[in-house]
Amino acid sequence: MAVALTIGVFGALILFHAAYSTIQYKGLLKITEEEFLGPPLNVVIELVIGFLLCFWAALTVPGKFLSIHPHSEENRIVSLPANLDFMIFNHRGKVFPLEMDLKLKH
Amino acid sequence: MAVHSGSGSSEKKSSNGVNELLAFNAENMQSNMKIIYYSRTFLSIIGGVVAGILGFTGLKGFVFYLLLMAFTSLGLVAKAKFSIHTYFDSWNRVLVDGFLGGLMSFVLFWTFAYDIAHIF
Repeated sequence: MAVALTIGVFGALILFHAAYSTIQYKGLLKITEEEFLGPPLNVVIELVIGFLLCFWAALTVPGKFLSIHPHSEENRIVSLPANLDFMIFNHRGKVFPLEMDLKLKH
Repeated sequence: MAVHSGSGSSEKKSSNGVNELLAFNAENMQSNMKIIYYSRTFLSIIGGVVAGILGFTGLKGFVFYLLLMAFTSLGLVAKAKFSIHTYFDSWNRVLVDGFLGGLMSFVLFWTFAYDIAHIF
């Protein structure tokens, strides 16, 4: 997680550096009075690299997807609580179809 | 003997035509939607900065945004390991959600970056 965050920050820094290079390039163009057709090649490469790093960081940093199946392995909520006084059984779970293959997780 | 306790997850029934699940874990679903939203917003901002630096104007910028969102959708589908129904209840959520909000962030940072790099 921290690795992905540093990679994202690094990508953003590369983008800022590319912006600064473009500003310098435009200053140069003003001196030589040429038209701006596109940023120079090294700036484009920097932009692509920075963008790819930020792309990867944007997909990794926010967290992992969690399964939404109620019966998948990572969503098991089977437990035997110590205090049985507050357990209620008269809830809406009775409308679910009856499961005959419930397993205890050790 | 096994017992279901409802303390960790809230279950919700939903039954529209696209949905196959009778009930799903709504808390995880919301967390997944938040992840998509953050990813799209951040990538819209980065894409806006890139578009401004490259000097896109007018229609080219919006086409760039469409391409960007297409890549983002592809990336999100890859992150979900191509089995969308394990993490979401319909394809629309991962493909379309957050498109317009991202568009506004994109245009904002596009104009910022364009002004900084090309006008001042």
